[in-house]
Amino acid sequence: MATSPRPNAITRRRTRELVVGAALLVVLALLPLPIAGTYLRGLMVLTLLYAGLAQGWNILGGYCGQISLGHALYFGIGAYTSTLLYTRLGIPPTLGLFAGAALGALAALAVGWPCFRLSGHYYAIATLVVGLMVLLLVQNWGFVNAAMGITIPFRTESWVQLQFRVAVLPFYYVMLGYAAIAWIVAWVVEGSRWGYIWRAVKDDVAAARSLAVRVFPSKMAAAAISGAIVGAGGALYAQYVGFIDPDSVLGLSLSVLIALPAVVGGVGTLWGPLLGAAVLIPVQQLSVAWLGSSGNGVDLMIYGALIMGLALARPQGLVSLFGVRSQAGGEVVDDA
Amino acid sequence: MIGFGRKLLLGAALLGMAGGFAPRQAQAAPPDILIGAVYPLSGNAAPIGHDAQQALETEAAIINGHHDVPMLLGKGGGLPGLGGAHVKLIFADSQNNPQIAQSEAQRLITQDHVVAIIGSYTSATAVTISQICNRYRVPYISAENSAPSLSKQGLTWFFRPSPTDNDFTKAMFDFYAAIGKKTGRPVHSVAIIHENSVFGTDSARIQTAMAKAAGIKVLTDISYQASTPSLSVEAERLRAANADVVMPSSYTSDAILMVHAMHDAGYTPKAIMAQDAGFIDPAFIKAVGPLAEGVMSRSSFSIDAVKTRPAIPAVDALFKAHDNGKELNDLTAREVTALQVLADALNRAKSTKNTALRAALRTTDIPGAETIMPWVGIKFDKTGQNIEGNPVILQYQHGQWRTVFPFAVATAPAIWNVGK
Repeated sequence: MATSPRPNAITRRRTRELVVGAALLVVLALLPLPIAGTYLRGLMVLTLLYAGLAQGWNILGGYCGQISLGHALYFGIGAYTSTLLYTRLGIPPTLGLFAGAALGALAALAVGWPCFRLSGHYYAIATLVVGLMVLLLVQNWGFVNAAMGITIPFRTESWVQLQFRVAVLPFYYVMLGYAAIAWIVAWVVEGSRWGYIWRAVKDDVAAARSLAVRVFPSKMAAAAISGAIVGAGGALYAQYVGFIDPDSVLGLSLSVLIALPAVVGGVGTLWGPLLGAAVLIPVQQLSVAWLGSSGNGVDLMIYGALIMGLALARPQGLVSLFGVRSQAGGEVVDDA
Repeated sequence: MIGFGRKLLLGAALLGMAGGFAPRQAQAAPPDILIGAVYPLSGNAAPIGHDAQQALETEAAIINGHHDVPMLLGKGGGLPGLGGAHVKLIFADSQNNPQIAQSEAQRLITQDHVVAIIGSYTSATAVTISQICNRYRVPYISAENSAPSLSKQGLTWFFRPSPTDNDFTKAMFDFYAAIGKKTGRPVHSVAIIHENSVFGTDSARIQTAMAKAAGIKVLTDISYQASTPSLSVEAERLRAANADVVMPSSYTSDAILMVHAMHDAGYTPKAIMAQDAGFIDPAFIKAVGPLAEGVMSRSSFSIDAVKTRPAIPAVDALFKAHDNGKELNDLTAREVTALQVLADALNRAKSTKNTALRAALRTTDIPGAETIMPWVGIKFDKTGQNIEGNPVILQYQHGQWRTVFPFAVATAPAIWNVGK
């Protein structure tokens, strides 16, 4: 790490971030009110969900530099946990989501234990393979209805059970709360001792170790927090969509979708995941809506071209448009 | 950044509204009746979604145009009950993803104000679409989703003219019983082989249960990963089992692989009874050629039943014109019928109001001869399931699919080698 800004400058920046964050929260809380369309509100629900998920991914993949291509695993575990607790035992998802987050964290630790011995691309590939293995297992696991998936029947309008018949607004605020909590967690850890350790580990593992940083536990801590946030997101998704199956909550494409907003927005930055989600999710969903009916895949081409264009024009992510630099610039070099 | 996000959403809102209002300002009177259709139009199931689109457009052309097809609403000229109003389809792409299917269905309902939704090929997308339709009190017409669980969700806006996998499998075992009685050579054992996703798993589960109930031994039950590179080990296991009937539930590429692998292993099963899908795909026949001879499959459609279903040639010709010369098949025929059922209900309801439409759907009573399906007819039970949609058994004989069961609608006797 080069010369750091003076401590009071850091404090000032962090205070400013908090103020901007609070102002944004107020704006976002009011935003859906003039937008009456159910579809657009639904779009905003998904955007917030992915903002939270990407924020969770960013803690491990961004701050700590451990690129994971298997985060759908934690998402799926969260989704299945809360759904099974709800449909089999009647435990409301407002509690189930904490169980989902806890199991998501545990799963991230279980994946991290052997895989953090691998470095760089090998770690990314290991997470990918573990994710695919679990996908296959769940597809054939009768207890969770195997490939057929689980439907969450609509019972009654209820905040405790997170069920709303046609209103999208309640879910908007649930997801806003989720994204806000994910953001606050990121803000807290960014300024904490852990945050500095992660960035040191990401920049240069050998140097970090020479400063007596315990690399392995720091990665495990990042994995647990990341897994918990994504697991909770999975639980909320299940409740919002009302149906989960292995392909939709454990698939590889979901792992990519969780990482993409952070990558496009700016890896290892506080605002990157939010910004990335705000651009990518509406573009993805609206292109399906406007161009999907042609059946010639133009929507997917446009979406792909957009991501390529952004990656070429703004390799540091969209946040660089606003003069925010990645908290730990430089290449991802690591070692366990 | 706030400004940017907001602008994007505002822009989206304006465009969305423009999209929603555009079809409304068209005809002076009567206005088109908008019907939503959600299918996988991109991704690996896109070819099937594309065919569905053409099948629905074909039926819309029959209803709106003047093709004079000998079936219900085949005369054309729109819906007489609604002053000759035309039906207009609005398609949406589910990307075969349950979440996208849900938000697209929601968009069709809240922005385009469709009177009903037809869908959706895969059962995962059918779950979320039917749930959202139920919440908004808009009928969902399931054209070809065959998972039995769909009509057991307790939904009151769900209607399925097509038989379910239970019905399909029951037809196979009914056939075994009937042909056994007729020829004196009954089925004593079967070997089940299935791909391991929803379709294959569910199919094998029902087959196992029905075999048990019929006192037929299941000698082996083999599960494999769909789109596998090789099925030779599985073919060897089938050969070792040497059951009276091999019962595969497979998609196209696996079906081709399986038939070749059995051939390479020097194994000719006494009978193959397929759960539709890959075995009925024209690409399968093209790839395996004479090896397809004698293969049987369940189906809900028999294209050769022209004697009892005189509308088939005309609908088939129109569909061919829409879809690059493709012949109607089990899926596309059911899609044509789904729109026919919905249009009939709209016509009788004389209204596009949701409750009137549902009431009309509930009193649907279409005789089979008024459709292109070999069914007794279309009549829904309390769960919205058609109780008169009996499947048929087809057999590939001398280069074409012939209906061999039920004997009443059969167009050729079955070639039956079991027990010989």
